[in-house]
Amino acid sequence: MTMPQRSFEILEHTADLGIRITAPSLPELFAAAAEALVSVVLDPARIEPKREYAIEASGEDLDALLVNWLNEIVYLLDGARVAPARIAVDELNEARVVGRAFGEPRDVEKHPHRITVKAVTYHQLRIEQRAGQWRADFFLDV
Amino acid sequence: MPILESIDALRHRIPRDPSRGMRTDVVVYASDVLLKQIEKDQSLDQAVNVATLPGIVGPSLAMPDIHQGYGFPIGGVAAMDFQHGVVSPGGVGFDINCGVRLAASSLDRAEVAPRLNELVNQIFRDVPCGAGGEGRIPLNARELDSVLQDGARWMVKKGYGEERDVEFAEESGCLPGADPDQVSAKAKERGRPQAGTIGSGNHFIEIQYVESVHDAEAARAMNLRENQIVVLLHCGSRGLGHQVCTDYVAAMGAAMKEHGIAVPDRQLACVPIQSKQGQAYLAAMAAAANFAWANRQAILHFTRAAFARIFGQGARLDLVYDVCHNIAKREKHVVDGVERDVLVHRKGATRAFPAGHRDLPASYRSVGQPVIVPGSMGTASWVLVGAERSMQETFGSVCHGAGRVLSRTAAKKGKDARQEQKRLEEAGVLVRSASRDGILEELPEAYKDVDQVVEVVHQAGLARKVARLRPVAVIKG
Repeated sequence: MTMPQRSFEILEHTADLGIRITAPSLPELFAAAAEALVSVVLDPARIEPKREYAIEASGEDLDALLVNWLNEIVYLLDGARVAPARIAVDELNEARVVGRAFGEPRDVEKHPHRITVKAVTYHQLRIEQRAGQWRADFFLDV
Repeated sequence: MPILESIDALRHRIPRDPSRGMRTDVVVYASDVLLKQIEKDQSLDQAVNVATLPGIVGPSLAMPDIHQGYGFPIGGVAAMDFQHGVVSPGGVGFDINCGVRLAASSLDRAEVAPRLNELVNQIFRDVPCGAGGEGRIPLNARELDSVLQDGARWMVKKGYGEERDVEFAEESGCLPGADPDQVSAKAKERGRPQAGTIGSGNHFIEIQYVESVHDAEAARAMNLRENQIVVLLHCGSRGLGHQVCTDYVAAMGAAMKEHGIAVPDRQLACVPIQSKQGQAYLAAMAAAANFAWANRQAILHFTRAAFARIFGQGARLDLVYDVCHNIAKREKHVVDGVERDVLVHRKGATRAFPAGHRDLPASYRSVGQPVIVPGSMGTASWVLVGAERSMQETFGSVCHGAGRVLSRTAAKKGKDARQEQKRLEEAGVLVRSASRDGILEELPEAYKDVDQVVEVVHQAGLARKVARLRPVAVIKG
């Protein structure tokens, strides 16, 4: 199996920070966006994928779907107190996304938080498909 | 970039442009220097977008510390007709009732200096700081609901504070109308372990001294005097408030169509105040606001205990005032000679009621409401009092801080945390931070000059300078 070509970079915003994701498919884009969000908060290298956690989100359109999905990841980190090492998207349609996080319960010693993400926003959100690649820009309130 | 007309040296207007959907003007309070900084980001476009919201009363207002936010600009004020207008969670922000609390100690600078290091270490041990930090106040589900209902009062009742504390907080530390049932299980789960924690980002506790007094009568009313040590703390409703905002932005975003509302930026999602969802949000927002007041109350209590441990039981920390700068409040304001019932959204803006206002505690009624304006880390902060023109022009509101000019990423570029900490310490400011990034992201050069920001609201007659505070130590996430 070849590794999917996924990448992310940090974008600047006066108040906070943004992330640009590139991926070969929409499910990959959602998974990569979620993993990028996690890596802003925690060091993924220190997380062991011991357990599976279900994640699900819905939205009235693709923008809402991505924002709501990523806000589920924010909740997973800050509310359910899970440290996810990897995230997979199992099902994605216009209104719903279903996936899984592979990780472990968050341990403050083992998984120190780099920053707190308050939420993922619609600010300058952009999702587009270009030359067979999907790209998304999104901004976090931190 | 929208076109600005100058009304005078401190007031500028973007006239209503129906082609942009604007229902009203934008009015910006800024000096020429600040205006140049403001025009570098999208904050004025965001203030224009706010001017399109249904039911807006008076202009969309921009304070001198304005900077780009999410949907609403940070440093924005917008009043909506309570019967016919909308409520927008973005006009409050993710950190519902983020605010500041100032306490005056019974100690002078010279008394604290020899033991400052011990004091700072004690506070750093006693107040949970930093991302992911858990609190020292375990709450079960029922207790959390009581906190959401009673705010700072709950903490005082449980021994985290003194009876007089609640009198010296906006709304007495408890916004009426809170309904814990309108707060999602997820929001409660995020907030429950975080009661009494500072968090990260720009939240902090600073030990400061009163460097100069600019209004002797108001300073006397607040028991502030030169060289006195004071404590300034800044935090909000933590994950609980963040999740409340997330939940209602999502729900309102999906429901706007039903209400026939379209907004130029989805982060401005809103519904009529009088709709079921509008009322539910206001009840959840009040609950989150109360959680924030409870938080600041608990943190003051822990800080007091640290002072007592180092300086003995006789060392006092009396609350001067507690203000929120991310909130929507139902208030009565006279607009064009008519009293209006409005919901004032203050997103990165502070209430600044003048002398004589009935909502003020008796001891401040003759001088005006204390307004606390923190500057950037390690520089200076200000205590002001609300002045008459705030009621005439800005729905009783002023600025809330210095206002960022650099992104967190840009602030960190080429900087080393240890060196910067040393630089601050050489300048007389001890720093303890839960993270290195915490220091670099909040360096003074990332912000506007707080003196310039305060000068604008002072000269414009919105508030009056009372005292300038200088930090001697910063404890942050």
